[in-house]
Amino acid sequence: MSSQANKNVDIHDEENYDPTVWVPKVNSHGTSDIWNRFWILLGLTIIDVGFYFILAPGMIRNIIFIVLGIVKAWFIVGTFMHMKHEKKGLSYMIIFPMILIIFFLVWMMYEGHFWETFK
Amino acid sequence: MSTQTISKLSIWRGGNSPFNVSYGKLMMWVFLLSDAFTFSSLLIGYGAIRYSYPSTEVSQIESLELSFGENIQEKFAAPGVDAHHGEHFIPALREAGIFNELQWPSPDLVFNHFPFAHGLHLPLIFVSLMTLILILSSVTMVLAVEAGQRADKKAVGKWMFWTIVGGFMFLSCQAWEWTNFITAGAEPMSNPFGPPAFAALFFLVTGFHGFHVFSGVVLNVIIYINNFKGTYEARGHYEMVEKVGLYWHFVDLVWVFVFTFFYLI
Repeated sequence: MSSQANKNVDIHDEENYDPTVWVPKVNSHGTSDIWNRFWILLGLTIIDVGFYFILAPGMIRNIIFIVLGIVKAWFIVGTFMHMKHEKKGLSYMIIFPMILIIFFLVWMMYEGHFWETFK
Repeated sequence: MSTQTISKLSIWRGGNSPFNVSYGKLMMWVFLLSDAFTFSSLLIGYGAIRYSYPSTEVSQIESLELSFGENIQEKFAAPGVDAHHGEHFIPALREAGIFNELQWPSPDLVFNHFPFAHGLHLPLIFVSLMTLILILSSVTMVLAVEAGQRADKKAVGKWMFWTIVGGFMFLSCQAWEWTNFITAGAEPMSNPFGPPAFAALFFLVTGFHGFHVFSGVVLNVIIYINNFKGTYEARGHYEMVEKVGLYWHFVDLVWVFVFTFFYLI
């Protein structure tokens, strides 16, 4: 039904913008980048497990895990979710609130440590 | 007029998308941001409660003298008895004071099972496999999106199929993990490993994530069927694959942090 209607409208037309059908023109960025990121993510996961057994538990090890998690998130969001090909305004809209969340997370882990003494 | 040569997309003059994305894709990003807040609130709650308890001492774990891949059943159960961890390993650790309500259990003493390796001490291996499965299914999803950008219907179908397989594999792994955890005696309000919040948070966060994976698999199946029917070919673009792809990558992204917080920290 909708495909019938779309035949009369240019879905990429910038001058007669119709938000219900308009989509930007897309072009493929190839697959080599994708597999490259897969090996990086696999390597980081193996490093994570390695650090778990090598390093003693503590705040330093936790910070290493959180930093490695952010690095993994960077590759997933950047390449897999095509964030690096989006307009800067859109990526700032998504990334900026999440940076504040990381701050809040570390703060609450530190805060929780002090609740121990109130039990 | 000189302005007619400038594309509306290079300088925003209204009447089109300033971010150069379609309405649906922008709304998917907004939804994912709000969903990220929900998961963040769960992980922030976890972090605060986790650190309100002391960690298991390294000396306590070393006193068990467990080596990687060792047969726990031979070490802790009566000779010739084939039993679950809940009947020998966990009671022994409770008696030694390693599992008690006042300290947070060490994940490698709780999640040390692997399918078809009954009784062996294999910490973190199964959850690493689950991570690998989810990252691989994310890769096949992004390959489906890439095929959609080339309007290659057959390749989209092929990669969507493998993404769905990966999703089902992950869900099966999680069902197995939950079964083991429940068989060992974990309940939402109590568990033999440590503080009640340990199992409660595990069920809440991995359950919420598992429900997202399930929804993602359902969406992937819908995309696969629509692609098979030729809906996107007739529409002239495969952006729907990209939008559901964003959701699927988000599920993978959340797992990275669930893995970090529940199994590593």
